[in-house]
Amino acid sequence: MNDQHNRVRGLWRQGLEVFVDNRLALAGVGIFVLLAAFSFLGPLFFHSDQVHTDLANVYLSPGTAGHPMGTDGVGYDQLGRLMLGGQTSIVVGLAAGLLATVVGTVWGAIAGFAGGWVDAIMMRVVDAMMSIPALFLFMLMAAIVTPTVPMLIVIIGAFAWLGPARLVRGEALTLRTREYVLAMRGMGGAGGRAVRRHIIPNAIGTVIVNATFQIADAILYVAYLSFLGLGVPPPAANWGGMLSDGLSDTFSGHWWLLYPPGIAIILIVLAFNFIGDGLRDVFEVRLRRR
Amino acid sequence: MGTRIRIACGVAAIGLSLTACGGGAGAGNSSQQGGSQGKDTATVAFRTPNWILPISAPGFTQGENDIFSTALYRKLYSYKLDGSSPDNIDPRRSLAEAPAVSDGGRTLTITLKDNTWSDGKPITTKDIQFWWDLVTTNKDKWASYRPGGFPDNIDAFKVKDDKTFSFTTKKAYNAAWFIGNQLNRIVPLPQHAWDKGDAQQTFAELTAAAKDPKSYATNPLWKVGSGPWKLEKYVPNGEVVLAKADTYSGPDKPKLNKVVLRPFTGDDSEFNVLRAGQIDYGYIPPANLSQKTYLESKGYTVSPWYGWSITYLQLNFNNPETGVLFKQPYLRQALQMLIDQPTISKVIWGDMASPTCGPVPSKGDGCVYPFDPAKAQQLLEANGWKVVPDGQTTCQDAAKCGEGVKQGAPLAFTVTSQSGFTATSKMFAEIKSQMAKVGVQLTIKEVPDSVAVTPACKPSESKCSWDMSFFGSQGSWYYPAFASGERLFQTGAPVNLGSYSNPEADKLIEQAQFSADASALTAYNAFLAKDLPVLWMPNPVYQISAYKSGLQGVDPQDPMNLMYFQDWSWKS
Repeated sequence: MNDQHNRVRGLWRQGLEVFVDNRLALAGVGIFVLLAAFSFLGPLFFHSDQVHTDLANVYLSPGTAGHPMGTDGVGYDQLGRLMLGGQTSIVVGLAAGLLATVVGTVWGAIAGFAGGWVDAIMMRVVDAMMSIPALFLFMLMAAIVTPTVPMLIVIIGAFAWLGPARLVRGEALTLRTREYVLAMRGMGGAGGRAVRRHIIPNAIGTVIVNATFQIADAILYVAYLSFLGLGVPPPAANWGGMLSDGLSDTFSGHWWLLYPPGIAIILIVLAFNFIGDGLRDVFEVRLRRR
Repeated sequence: MGTRIRIACGVAAIGLSLTACGGGAGAGNSSQQGGSQGKDTATVAFRTPNWILPISAPGFTQGENDIFSTALYRKLYSYKLDGSSPDNIDPRRSLAEAPAVSDGGRTLTITLKDNTWSDGKPITTKDIQFWWDLVTTNKDKWASYRPGGFPDNIDAFKVKDDKTFSFTTKKAYNAAWFIGNQLNRIVPLPQHAWDKGDAQQTFAELTAAAKDPKSYATNPLWKVGSGPWKLEKYVPNGEVVLAKADTYSGPDKPKLNKVVLRPFTGDDSEFNVLRAGQIDYGYIPPANLSQKTYLESKGYTVSPWYGWSITYLQLNFNNPETGVLFKQPYLRQALQMLIDQPTISKVIWGDMASPTCGPVPSKGDGCVYPFDPAKAQQLLEANGWKVVPDGQTTCQDAAKCGEGVKQGAPLAFTVTSQSGFTATSKMFAEIKSQMAKVGVQLTIKEVPDSVAVTPACKPSESKCSWDMSFFGSQGSWYYPAFASGERLFQTGAPVNLGSYSNPEADKLIEQAQFSADASALTAYNAFLAKDLPVLWMPNPVYQISAYKSGLQGVDPQDPMNLMYFQDWSWKS
C-alpha cells in the first residue's frame, strides 16, 4: 500500500518536473495566473462603475484622472471594463471548454468501446454535426436564446464537444483490445465499468491536453460571438465584444479601446496553448525517463 | 413604394443604404483625379439596381431600384418637402400640373404638361391609361398594392382628352393625403412602344424582360424613356452607366454627361475606396464617422442625408405578461422620460441623429416628455410602484399600478434589437443604464433581423412573448409625402407590430386621411406624441454622404431618398 502510494507520488513528481522543464508551459501558467488575478482580484483594488454609462465622459484618453486607461464610447472606465470582460471570457472559456471535454470524452469512450452499430450511430451524429459550420450554429442559437454567461457556456459547450469525442473514440478503439480490458470483460466485468475504470483513465492524457486547447478555443468562440454582436448584453462585457467595439474606432485614434482587449485575448489563448504543450510532455512517457 | 419599413437584413448590414452588397465592380476608368473622369462624369457608390420596370414588384422594392427607375422614367408627380409648394408637389420635376379638386374632394382632375418620350412622341393620357390598365389588371403583382388602397379606392378613372384625366374616389379623401400617398405611384409608361393590346400579356412580357437584367442595356423595350438619363451600360451585379438623354424634355436637364454607379461588396470596401478618393459620391458607414475630418481634408464634403422618417421603440401591447404594463399611459411616459434623446443623438450618433417627438417627422424640438429621470421616478412612485434604484422596481399597490397589474409585478423587459450596429448597441447600453437607475431592468437581445422575430400577434400566440422591439438603426419608418399613420398606428394596421389601439387615435388618423381639415395631421401628431403608442427614439440620418467638394447640386439631398443626378455638376 505504502509502496503504491510512493509510486503515485513519484509519478506526480516526475510529471511536475517534466512540466517545469518546459519554460513555455511555465510562462503559460504565469500568464494565465496574472490575467485571472487581474480580472478577478483587480476590481477589489480598482473600483469603477461598470453598470452606469456616463455620456459626459466618453473617449477620455489614458492617464485622465480616475481613468488610467481612459474611457470608452459610453463612458465606461476601460481598465475596469477589461477586468469585467476578463471575468466573462475566462469563466465562459473554462466552463465551456471543460463541458465540451466531459461530454466529448464520455461520448467518444462509449462509442469507441461499444463499437458496431452503436459506434456507427454515435459517430454519424458527430459527423453530421461537424458538417454544419460551428459559427452558423452559434449564431442561430444565440439568435434564438438571450445570450447570458450560462447560456454561452451551454451553447459553446454543446458544439465544441465533437472534437474531443472523435479523439477519445480513436483512443478507445485501441484501448478496448488491450489485455487488461479483455481480462476484466472475461471475468464478467460490465461495459460501463470498463469505460469508467479503464478506457477513460487510460485516455486521460489525451483528454487533458485536448481540454487546454478546448478552453483556448472556447475563449475564441466567445470572442467570435461577441464580434458578431451576439455576446453577453451590456453592461456585461467580454474581451471579444470589447475588441469588436474597439474596431469601430480603428481610424479614430482611440487605440486604448482596440489593443488592450486584443492583446488580452492573444495572451490567454497563447497561455492555454503553452500549458497544453507542457501537459502533453507530462503524459509523454518517454520524456519522463530522460 | 415610398412607404416602407426599414428592416435590417442582419449581418448583411441592411440593404436600404444606397451601396454595398453588390458584386465586385469593375474598376472602370476612374482617373487619378479623384474619380472625376474629366469632369463630365460622376462616380457614385451605388448598389446595382435589379428592377427597371417603373411598376414595382414584390422583392424588388429596394431604394436603388426606385432611384434607377426614376432616372429613366419620370413619375407623374415629384415631391419636395420644404414647404414651398402646395401639397408638397415639385412643380419643376412633375409631369403634370397640380390636381384640381372638385366634387367635395372626390374628384381630382389632372392636366399633363407638354413633355415627350425620348423618341420624340408626346407624353399623353394614353400613357396614363396604359399604366392604369396594367396596374388594375395585375394589381396582385404590384408591390405598392394594398387591398382597399389604390386602385381599389377609385370609383372612376376618366380620360377627357390627350392632356387631361381624372380620378373619382369612392370616399372623399384629404386631397393632400391622396396627392402625397396615392398619386405618387403613377408613372406614365410609353404605350406606343410597350402596349401589346392585352394588359395581362403585356404586363407578363414587361415583367419577364425586367427579370432579365443582363439585357437591360440592349433590350429595345427600355430604349424609350421619359427621364433625364438613358442606360448606356449595365453589368448584372456590377457597374451601371447612365448617359445624359439628349432628347429629355423636362426643365431639369442633366449637366453631367455620365453617371457611373459602382457597387461594393460591403461598407468597408466602399469606405476604403472613398478614403482613397476614387469615387465622387459615397457614404461614411456610421462606425467610421470619426473619419469625417480626414475625408474633409481630402477634399470631400460630408453631408448628413436626413430622411422623411421617424424612429421608435415598439412596445408589445399584446404581450400576455408585460402588455398590461404598456397599456398604462403613466408607465409609457415614465419610460419615455428615461430616454435622453438629445444626448444620445449628439454623443452616440455623433450628431447624425435627432430626437423623434411624435409620429410626424420634425426637427426634434419640444418633445412632450423630455429626459427627466427624477420626474419618471416620481411618476412611478405616485402610481403605486416601489422604486429600487439599481434594483428591481415592483408594484407595491396594485390598485394604483393600474388595471390588470398584479401586486409584486416587476418592471423588467427584454428589448429585441438589431445586431451589427455599434451606435445602436451603445444607445441601448445608455438606455439600460438610465432605466436601471429607477429599477427598470432591461435585457438587450440583439438579433440580425429584429422585425422578423417581433411580429404583430395575439396574446395567446407563442410568438407574442416579445416585450420591446427596435429596428431603427437606419430609421424605423420612411414616409411618403404625407406623413399620416394609417399603416402604423391605426388599430389593426399592417405595420402596427405592437398592436397599439386607441379609439381617439383611430379617429384622428381617419381625419388626417379623409378630412379636408388641414389641421387634422397636426392634431393627430399632437395626440400621438403625447399618448406614446411607441417610445420615441433618436432618428438617425438615412445616410452620411460624402462627395467631392467640386461636385455641385448634391445638396439638399431628397428626404424621400431619391437622387436627382441631373442637378449635379462640376465646379468649373
